[in-house]
Amino acid sequence: MDFAQNLSNAIILGCTYLLMAAGLTMVYGVLKVLHIAHASVYTIGAFVGVLVYSWVGNFWLSLLIAMIFSGVFGILIYRFSYYYLLDVPRTVPLIASIGLFVMLTDLLQKPFLMGPYQRAFPAGGAGLPRIDTPWFSITSKQLLIFSVTIVLMVLVYLLLTRTRIGLGWQAASLDREMAAAVGINLNRIIALNFFIGSALAGAAGVLVGIYNNSVFATMGDLPSYKAFIIIVLGGMGSLPGAILASLLLAIVENFLVASIGYVLPRDSIAFLVLILMLMFRPHGLLGQE
Amino acid sequence: MYKKFFSGLIALIVLSMLVVACAPQTTATPEATQPPAAETAAPQVTEEPTMPATEQPTEAPQEPIKIGFFSPTTGFAAADGTSALQSAQLAVKIINENGGVLGRQLELVFYDDAAKPDQASAIARKLIEQDKVVAAVSGSYSGATRAAAPIFQEAGIPMLSAYAIHPDITKTGNMIYRIGTLANVEGRVGAELVGKVMNLKKVAILTVDNDFGISLTDGFKQHAAELGLEIVLEEKYPLGETEFRPIIGKIKSSGAEVVYATGYYNEAANLVTQMKDEGLNIPIIGQEGYDSPKFIELAGPAAEGVIITTDLNRDSDRPMTRTFLEQYKATYGEDADMVGASAFDAVMVLAYAIKTAGSTDPMAIVNAIANLKDFEDVATGPFWNFTADREVVRPVSSQIVKDGAFHLYHEFDDIKLVTP
Amino acid sequence: MSTGYLLTIFTFIAIYISLALSLNILVGFAGQISLGQAAFFGIGAYTSAVLAIRYSLPFTIDFISAILITGFVGLFLGLPSLRVRHDFLVLATMGINFVVISVFKYVDFFGGAMGLVNIPAPVLFGISFRGGVPYFILSSIYALLTLGLCWYISKTWSGLAFQTIRSDEDAAASVGVSSARYKIYAFGISAAIAGGAGSLYAHFIGSVFPDTFAFVESIAILSMVIFGGVGTLRGPIIGAIILRLTPELLRFISDYRFTLYGALLVLMMLFQPMGILGNGSWLWQKLHPNNRDVANTPQMEVK
Repeated sequence: MDFAQNLSNAIILGCTYLLMAAGLTMVYGVLKVLHIAHASVYTIGAFVGVLVYSWVGNFWLSLLIAMIFSGVFGILIYRFSYYYLLDVPRTVPLIASIGLFVMLTDLLQKPFLMGPYQRAFPAGGAGLPRIDTPWFSITSKQLLIFSVTIVLMVLVYLLLTRTRIGLGWQAASLDREMAAAVGINLNRIIALNFFIGSALAGAAGVLVGIYNNSVFATMGDLPSYKAFIIIVLGGMGSLPGAILASLLLAIVENFLVASIGYVLPRDSIAFLVLILMLMFRPHGLLGQE
Repeated sequence: MYKKFFSGLIALIVLSMLVVACAPQTTATPEATQPPAAETAAPQVTEEPTMPATEQPTEAPQEPIKIGFFSPTTGFAAADGTSALQSAQLAVKIINENGGVLGRQLELVFYDDAAKPDQASAIARKLIEQDKVVAAVSGSYSGATRAAAPIFQEAGIPMLSAYAIHPDITKTGNMIYRIGTLANVEGRVGAELVGKVMNLKKVAILTVDNDFGISLTDGFKQHAAELGLEIVLEEKYPLGETEFRPIIGKIKSSGAEVVYATGYYNEAANLVTQMKDEGLNIPIIGQEGYDSPKFIELAGPAAEGVIITTDLNRDSDRPMTRTFLEQYKATYGEDADMVGASAFDAVMVLAYAIKTAGSTDPMAIVNAIANLKDFEDVATGPFWNFTADREVVRPVSSQIVKDGAFHLYHEFDDIKLVTP
Repeated sequence: MSTGYLLTIFTFIAIYISLALSLNILVGFAGQISLGQAAFFGIGAYTSAVLAIRYSLPFTIDFISAILITGFVGLFLGLPSLRVRHDFLVLATMGINFVVISVFKYVDFFGGAMGLVNIPAPVLFGISFRGGVPYFILSSIYALLTLGLCWYISKTWSGLAFQTIRSDEDAAASVGVSSARYKIYAFGISAAIAGGAGSLYAHFIGSVFPDTFAFVESIAILSMVIFGGVGTLRGPIIGAIILRLTPELLRFISDYRFTLYGALLVLMMLFQPMGILGNGSWLWQKLHPNNRDVANTPQMEVK
């Protein structure tokens, strides 16, 4: 019973990691930029979600608005920073990204935005039921996270494999110059890429905000560090790899804590895995040389 | 062109930063800058004429008494730092509205230390040498307070630590006092609560891995051994943890009757919510880290029935507790918490000490604090006295969450139990 | 302004100049971006604190051991750089920072979360001093020695090799310079200098806590290097001075200092990726119209 419960809890945790990592790996796939400011997009998504929820009281509407807002915000980040930094050494956009992250986190903490305090996001399970089986239970919040993640990932999959612009995205993530040479509108692809990736991060922010019933200015820090680990494990730029790595990391973390306890904080365990991975399998679990 | 313009702009920003001179953020109340209201009102007050007329003109233009204050209003500890600062400002306002100290106004000189030791040590020197404060209050965490304490000690300026709990802070020397209950005392009270008041035996302990959590757990375990409690599980978890489900599974199978969980309100809110979700319905004992209206807001219905040990008794009818809770709510639109109450009390104790000493001489102030007895003008009091190790002795309260608010559960006033 | 306060600020600036210069050896000379310099800073501080408190060793031994031990750890932790490059290395160094901090936090020998306190004041030539003019002089001497070492590295053969690694790793391997060896050297030297700075910091503050050396500190040190001008000697110095001094001077906007730092980093990257005084930067070209250095810095130019 413990085993099944731990596994189901880990899968839900993996879903929250995945939404964050998916956006990050998509950005890396096309731009080859480590988008650290992604953490801020996640926080902003949660913030917009909680604001809209407090006005209209409807979870689905607040999720939608938060995703659109985050997506547009992601495009703005791209248009006003990375856009100018596509053909320079990769350290330049990286440092710009760190700058954006530091600036946005600090601004979000100011009283006229989120303030230093945490706020509740009492949307509950948005009316979904709680499932109790003899082996494990899934709370309504967990069911919500699980179903929203599945729906979003299926939508992204269909968009990337069944539409013209999605095929263009695939080409661009393989080779940006080549894609441009065969007449693919790179700007549109990259903008779409940022929109989808950031909207997913915004959704992750909203869902985690509801799951923990708390939204605060620095909530994006740890999930984003973890998302970096996931995209390395999964192979940078690989979406299936990110899915696998998210679930694997969450399962390993939860079972380690359940069996041994905290030898080191969860995040340090994850980073140790990362360092070993980089030493011995630098292209990820599914990545290719 | 575009590029040059912005380069110029950057250069300008940088230059302007270097040119601008420093200006400390002082938080003197408006009364401090205006001519004292008492002077114009004086003829109407009947007692006034009996005072020697010659004294008034010399007192009126006197400078305010400066008290240094540092707390983290940016960075990871910004919530606590802001609460501490606002409460200290409230204390200064109340004192000044009641005529100030020694006929002079109090002025709080504030700097943000971001809870960083290097910032705090620079701030301590700045407060001492540049602002010439007569005493200081640390509204910051242990690391920063620990770094600032030796500097105040060497300069011979009294410093009160509001809520930082590292045991070594007060060991710095005779100028350093602490207002908050020492964490291992609070841990002992937790064990007393479990063993004597609730009559439970099997305990699971969760410790947050910082100085706060570890000191609490140490105190708890020490007294638990004396009371013969059985510790069936002990786990340490990292600060900021949100996923307690794997640990909850372990608590379930450990057969614990009660959970003693150290931590802050955000971790605690997740813990109690997830315990309810996983169907684990045993009592949870928290401590002052939970003591924030945010805990009840974030944990919602799961907070009901949680018992905490804390310094702030919200059901107290002591006048200063009521004044603090009501005025804080009226001034800042939020409910006050324990951190704020401690910073408030630190300022109140300082004001009392200066008043009793009759001067701003550092040794006189320190002596007044050392000799303080049954002091009632504090929100978390009464303060019975300070020990020779400069730690406060006072009753510790336990509060239970009922109908979305903290209420008195049990008051611990056994001197032996609460003396560090 | 009062002297004691100014001396405190300037002592910190001297320590941070050493730190920024040490990171510059990695980032500027060897082209290895690291987000983990605070880990080495912390290892030095903890080495010194442990030796002084647990073994009551004198300051000179603490200080030298901090440099040597951190240097060795640096050589070891530099190993991932042989396997991974660029973004991967950034993540690996970031990971190292997290892991090192949690070791300080979880191992009781290092004081755990309670930190290590009551580090005795250093004694040199029979005089004990905490802070004041002597400590400022001590840290300034250390910063000057660091500067000298950096100058030496940048001028000698090994400096050339470092620069070769930075501009083109494959080319470096083909002309016979063992890039692996020099990358490891760069990590070792950089870590050793940061370790010495950590020792000075620990004895100055008198206590060490794990969170002081967290990831954000690494970002702060990197900002100093980038802001001043990566790959030069003057850049990290100017960067450390400006970024350490502004929050002190700008208390009235101190609440917004991180917003300002972040904005500056973004603006710098967009318009002056070489830093305010780096080779090829607008300001440096104004000051030195006929500068020859410009040709030597192909790495970070904007198109």
